[in-house]
Amino acid sequence: MSPQSGFTAEVYQNPYLAAGAETVDAVITVTAGEGGAAPSPAGTPSAAEAIMIDCSGSMGYPRSRMTEAIKATGVAVDTLRDGVLFAVIAGRSRAEQVYPSRGMVAASADTRAAAKQAIARLTPSGGTAMGSWLALANKLFAEVPAQVKHGIMLTDGRNQHETPEALRQVLAECEGRFSCDCRGVGEDWAASELRTIASALLGSADGLEEPAELPAAFRAMTEQAMGKSVADVKLRLWTPAGSTIRFVKQVFPQVEELTGRRVAVSDRIGEYPTGAWGAESRDYHVSVQVPPGTLGEERLAARVSLVSDDTVIAQSLVLARWTEDDALSTQINDRVAHYTGQAELAEVIQQGLEAREAGDDATATAKLGRAVQLADESGHEQTAKLLRRVVDVEDAATGTVRLRRDASSLDAELTNVRSTKTIRVKRS
Amino acid sequence: MVIAQTIDCPACGAPASAGFRFCEACGTPLHGVPAPSAAAEWVSSSTAPQRCEACGHTGFSSDGYCDQCGQRGPTGPDHSEFDLGPVAGVSDIGHRHERNEDAFALGTLPGTPLVVVCDGVSSSSRGDAASHAAVDAALPVLRTALTEGSHPERAIARSVHAAREAVTAVAGPDQGNPPSCTFVAAVVSAGSITVGWVGDSRAYWLPDGGTPCCVTVDDSLANELIASGMPADEAHAQPHSGALVRWIGVDADDGPPKARTFTPEGPGRLIVCSDGLSRYRSAPEALASSTPPGPPLAVARQLTQLALDAGGVDNITVVVVPYPPAAPTEGSAQ
Ligand SMILES: [Zn+2]
Ligand SMILES: [Zn+2]
Repeated sequence: MSPQSGFTAEVYQNPYLAAGAETVDAVITVTAGEGGAAPSPAGTPSAAEAIMIDCSGSMGYPRSRMTEAIKATGVAVDTLRDGVLFAVIAGRSRAEQVYPSRGMVAASADTRAAAKQAIARLTPSGGTAMGSWLALANKLFAEVPAQVKHGIMLTDGRNQHETPEALRQVLAECEGRFSCDCRGVGEDWAASELRTIASALLGSADGLEEPAELPAAFRAMTEQAMGKSVADVKLRLWTPAGSTIRFVKQVFPQVEELTGRRVAVSDRIGEYPTGAWGAESRDYHVSVQVPPGTLGEERLAARVSLVSDDTVIAQSLVLARWTEDDALSTQINDRVAHYTGQAELAEVIQQGLEAREAGDDATATAKLGRAVQLADESGHEQTAKLLRRVVDVEDAATGTVRLRRDASSLDAELTNVRSTKTIRVKRS
Repeated sequence: MVIAQTIDCPACGAPASAGFRFCEACGTPLHGVPAPSAAAEWVSSSTAPQRCEACGHTGFSSDGYCDQCGQRGPTGPDHSEFDLGPVAGVSDIGHRHERNEDAFALGTLPGTPLVVVCDGVSSSSRGDAASHAAVDAALPVLRTALTEGSHPERAIARSVHAAREAVTAVAGPDQGNPPSCTFVAAVVSAGSITVGWVGDSRAYWLPDGGTPCCVTVDDSLANELIASGMPADEAHAQPHSGALVRWIGVDADDGPPKARTFTPEGPGRLIVCSDGLSRYRSAPEALASSTPPGPPLAVARQLTQLALDAGGVDNITVVVVPYPPAAPTEGSAQ
């Protein structure tokens, strides 16, 4: 624990392994600003915000979509702290800067009013090429010195006017430069696209039931960005010689695969990006394969640290102890078991919905049935409720379901985009 | 982590880690020799590991794990001996344990030997880290408190407080089963002996010719029940009667140590030990009849060997203090 930094890291694991066993699993709960006050070791960091609004033709149908988007953007601008640099981008087949005319400008009463005037003139027309929107945001962010750089991206459609390859290319350029929350409105956005963008840019992805929800959603995203008090925190992992990192995942508040995002610091040490932190708590699941030890031996399987500015702000030890006592070695830590289930839940929802779209009803029914069962077992009510929009549940405990023929594409995309949202283990 | 205490090489005077066997400057054995010079304020069995037993690597992180293979290095050596003249002690890993989780520190004030022995609770994680941190924190505080004029019982209470803080510091991110240890300290002066303790490490008073006694009363479940009125034989028959009810650790209560001060009627020896010895000679008469005459280090070695020969199932620490204390070698009068 490191009270000075305001960060704590707690480890949950069963360190006991049977003779010859090699796999060590642990859940690490990282909490910043416990007790409500956000940690800010060096004062509030400077921030920049780019708001990317889909202005493609479809945003005009129904009319409320564009009017709510305009209102929401105004709310976001109003939520910016004084002095925060910002820009508004209209997204079509190309990106176009709405306000200011070039670069970014510091939020003040005058600039907010001018921004809202410019936003009000936005009209829907043209196509959708999200990569170009993100590329413009990246260019604007590159020109300013802010510590926390955050984007909000709203779309109502699929990324039709550029290739997936072009989007991947832009995401690779933007990664680590700024974070981005993505929201879909209407019925034509693709959950997989939003999740891809949000994952790469360490943000959240979600969809809205109604355009009327936009202003509240924009306020929440902006407030969260303004609450970030420590920019650019990394998860640092030390593992012993001869070990293999099976995976590193964020597992709460949503599943994010981090394994492939390792940046090697040395032979033994690698770092994974976690972005900026406000007063919040996240859980990580680390799984390491270590060379088997002798009975009675204690070994460090991983040292998990949170690092900001190359300073360790919280640290936790993952241990391995080999024992002949089966009563010890066969126990599975309840958090490790819980998040193993939550990760599987996200996976089977995505696989089930993909099979459903491909017309493979048998696979879809099996996968979504398993999802219903996992959601029921873990008490994940939000996900259970979403799943009932795409399947009729006969028996949740056994995962017996039938695909719903009346499910809309919004039902499927919402279920998909929220599939990665997890809950913490319920205290029994 | 406390830096290992230094002593001065008896041959060349170079400072050396008390945990080292030989002087790094001239190679003279540092221990098993008479008292180091009076400049040595105190010594302890703590020492950082030199080389990983699993992979041979020599780098260890500050939390005590091998930088290469992650193997936890010992906090103290398997065997250590110190002889300060008026007080001497031995600690040994025994036959069954992976690590020596006992730790001890010895010190002197003019005419007043000081002892702290801690035994890492083996059901806790990193009991050795707790015991070593505890002795290293307690002995200097005990010394300072006495120098400042504190009553020995008060001085021991202050040293327990320091030990608690040190054990809390080494607990670090450990969950559920924080490192913990027992504690027993003794202050032996010309007119009286004071012993304070938390847990089941013991001190025995063995008078030359008189009736020996155990000065400490274990903080055990059985003794707790006896104190609340249960007959002794019934209390000892309870399940887990030997379980510790008090210890030093994040998960323990922080009340004052129990303490006793007494004035011996004549000369004798105070034996301060971990349960690695007392489990084999629990009754004071049994211990007394097994304790040979001789200089303190020789006696401590023989009692340690006795425990090893009896099975050595636990770590063993034995400190011997003759009473009245041997006259100070240097005449720094008070
Ligand atoms: Zn020397
Ligand atoms: Zn090693």
